[in-house]
Amino acid sequence: MMENPYEPWLATVEDIREEVGGQRPIKTFKLKFKDKKITDNFSYIPGQCAMVSLLGMGECFFAISSSPTKKGFIEVSVMKLGKVTTALHELEPGDTVGVRGPYGNNFDVSGWKGKNLIFIGGGIGQAPLRSLIQYVVDKRKDYGKIDIIYGARTSKDISYKEEFAELEKRKDVNVHLSIDVKEDGWDKFVGFVPDNLLKVKPSPKNSIAITCGPPIMIKFVIQNLEKLGFSEDQIFTTLEMRMKCGIGKCGRCNIGNLYVCKDGPVFSYKELKNIYGER
Amino acid sequence: MDILIISKNDLPKFIDELIKKNTVFAPIENDDTILFGQIKKANEAKLDYLNSQYPPKALILNQTETLFKFRPGPKGDIEPIKIDEKKVIFGIRPCDAKSLAILDCAFSGDFKDPYFLTKRDNTVLIGLSCNKPGVNCFCTSFDDSPASSKYVDILLTDIGNSYYVEVTSDKGKNITKGASKFFKPAKESDAKAKTDIEKKAIEMIKRTQKTENIAEKLDKIFENKFWKEVSDSCVGCGTCTYLCPTCHCFDIQDESTLTKGARIRVWDTCMNPEYTLHASGYNPRPARKNRVRNRIYHKYNYYPKNFDVIACVGCGRCIDLCPVNIDIIDVVTSAGEVKP
Amino acid sequence: MVNEKELQDAVEKTVKRDDVKYVVGYEKGTYGFQAKPSFAYKPEDAKKFIFSPICVHNLSVFPMLEEKPPLRKGEEPDSRKLGVVVKGCDSRAIVQILQEKGLERDKVVIIGIPCEGVIDPKKIEAKFPGQVDNADVKDDGDNFIVTIDGKAHKVKKDELTPDKCKTCEYPTPVLYDILIGKEIKSKKKEDYKDVKTFEKKSMKEKWDYWEKQFEKCIRCYACRNACPLCYCKECMVDQLDPQWVRRSVDLSENTAWNLLRAFHLAGRCIGCGQCERVCPMGLPLMELNKKLEKDILELYEYVAGIDAEEKPLLAMFKPDDPEEFIL
Repeated sequence: MMENPYEPWLATVEDIREEVGGQRPIKTFKLKFKDKKITDNFSYIPGQCAMVSLLGMGECFFAISSSPTKKGFIEVSVMKLGKVTTALHELEPGDTVGVRGPYGNNFDVSGWKGKNLIFIGGGIGQAPLRSLIQYVVDKRKDYGKIDIIYGARTSKDISYKEEFAELEKRKDVNVHLSIDVKEDGWDKFVGFVPDNLLKVKPSPKNSIAITCGPPIMIKFVIQNLEKLGFSEDQIFTTLEMRMKCGIGKCGRCNIGNLYVCKDGPVFSYKELKNIYGER
Repeated sequence: MDILIISKNDLPKFIDELIKKNTVFAPIENDDTILFGQIKKANEAKLDYLNSQYPPKALILNQTETLFKFRPGPKGDIEPIKIDEKKVIFGIRPCDAKSLAILDCAFSGDFKDPYFLTKRDNTVLIGLSCNKPGVNCFCTSFDDSPASSKYVDILLTDIGNSYYVEVTSDKGKNITKGASKFFKPAKESDAKAKTDIEKKAIEMIKRTQKTENIAEKLDKIFENKFWKEVSDSCVGCGTCTYLCPTCHCFDIQDESTLTKGARIRVWDTCMNPEYTLHASGYNPRPARKNRVRNRIYHKYNYYPKNFDVIACVGCGRCIDLCPVNIDIIDVVTSAGEVKP
Repeated sequence: MVNEKELQDAVEKTVKRDDVKYVVGYEKGTYGFQAKPSFAYKPEDAKKFIFSPICVHNLSVFPMLEEKPPLRKGEEPDSRKLGVVVKGCDSRAIVQILQEKGLERDKVVIIGIPCEGVIDPKKIEAKFPGQVDNADVKDDGDNFIVTIDGKAHKVKKDELTPDKCKTCEYPTPVLYDILIGKEIKSKKKEDYKDVKTFEKKSMKEKWDYWEKQFEKCIRCYACRNACPLCYCKECMVDQLDPQWVRRSVDLSENTAWNLLRAFHLAGRCIGCGQCERVCPMGLPLMELNKKLEKDILELYEYVAGIDAEEKPLLAMFKPDDPEEFIL
């Protein structure tokens, strides 16, 4: 019998960490496959995604937000927004979910060796970037300068607070956090992420910029990157779409003739400019 | 290729023989509607039909398909299901058979869809040529013919007192060898009769769609206001997508009670605004103009770019049944003539 | 016979107004006996408009399909009026929507056409199959004159009209801004003959009949999308949380869908027959809607879509209602 790409593998929820509370809470789930053979064979590269399903509720497509250098588990960050994500937020450690993957294309981790990397993230958009950040930090010698620019609405909305604190302590990584509105006790940049980017002013020489966040933020970040001298094939982003199958068959996530689940979600700005379609 | 003859008297006997050993689907009539259903006797099949409203792709890409069963909830479990039905589809038209070959491209690739491909392997297609194409048929616009045997295992053409039989594949040969008492080798006069009928049928097709270099032409007019004019009259009913033999979009839903459930795949339509609605409320295709344009581009630009074949077979169902007369022959021909 | 020149002049005059965005009417279709909706944005577009017995569709669905795209900063929403060309039955749909406050009266310009019967596309296709070139159909009192390849065929109206025309009580639009031609009074009466015949059948016969029909349903929702009165922003069947009707296509869910839709239209359906015309599988949806129409008439003495000032039936409460409480 042919292998069935629609059938998920069962995984246990090992740990749940609340990143952000409030109206749109974000939780990070640490998942471990029940079958050890699958854990050993599940190999992915940062940027790829997985379909996580709660049996009886449905499936959602999430970026795998942990790096493959951390073996034995995968992590996904989930924002509570619709039917399935609300049900996922009710889970407890020990519960079972289904996982399918890895799907999509990946960041070019081998082609970017030796280059300076600038990560620009906003809100929950940090999730796919975190996988790549963990990867390059674990393989620090292979890459050049690392700048991480991340912003959220308020200091309570910052995801991965402990990890950012650890990264800020490191001397070989530059972290530039920001929040949208002034707050007591916040001594770092106040303003939108695209403006923070202009303040940091990274050099386009031998650099790759990767951005992910709300569509409006991506639009202005790309504008500012071009102002700073970055060319189209130095700018990468990850896109999201409503997805059902995750393997390029159900037809819904297409932008032009490319499917975001199969040919994406990582796209270079050069690719995006050249395809016709709504995004 | 084996070329044979079967007399009109023997055909029902052959079908009855088929029914003894296989599950046979053929065109049947339900009130005034023709659809493909299972037949238990040869006389249930209605062979003097134009084409079924409901496309026979439904027998391979079922409208509702159970992917697997499960026990729902956070302590649930999965129960895979077997996919092994064998069937024979009798009387399928050459355009519909071509559509299955076109869908093969979408369902293979990096991830093979076992539901579609296994059923495809286990199905024998016995085609029936069109002696009298319909008003809106335009298979000839794609270099195809109403009597083409390219995509079927056996093709029958009505040449008067008998049917001209072309057996193109091993699957077909198994069938005809198993019922060899009904078949005789064909004579040259039979072959000529078939060629004459094919030529007459091609001449009956009056409407043509200009599809030369259509993918490149469409690339240049994506933002053109032509699409607003075309889509103004669309009511978004979705009839075109449900009847199109090459449309393949689907939805996946979990349907369960408290103790058991199944994940099912159902046909979906890109004409529905909810089709691309994000959970955040953002919709990349909010207006009918976006959706109509996306459908035409998917068939005539995106599919050719990915798989090198136009995803339209010229069956004309969408033209027959569109309530507001959005005519794909006219739309694409006019699109090819719009100045960018 | 409707004076097409008068129609085109009226449309041209309406489109020329500053406060009208477009007028939707009928134009010649692409083959056979088809008429398609035509949108006049500029005065010269009015020349395409026609009206003949092949103009069977209900165009009042278009004002409800207008999308409101997101606006740029400082951009004002386009609040111009929409013009619609309607026959008698179609105008009742607009009146019903006005009753429900789905549209505002000053947002539509209604160009009314008194209609003496149209042609059912399925019936004329069965009588004159295989027409590729556009054919001409004219109204001639009790007959239609169908001209094909230069030859004129006289056909009795009853042979080609849909059932709704045979019992039409409102040939003149009940509400209009401009009327093309003179008002026509109807001599026909809706007697629900078919509904009464069906009501006499046994329960088993009724279920068998409808089971056979609902098995054909493919849940394409064309009936809902083409109906002028189905304009809920989120239809109950699209809701997932809670899920009222499952998405799988089987007899149980199909029955649920069709019956639920008929009940949601009770007291609101004006009998234009668009749902039945659009259904690709040929389900006799008007039989369901007519039954509910008859029940509403008998229970509440209410007819949908006649008076725009009236309150919608199932959304109003009068002190002399027979029930003591609103439940």
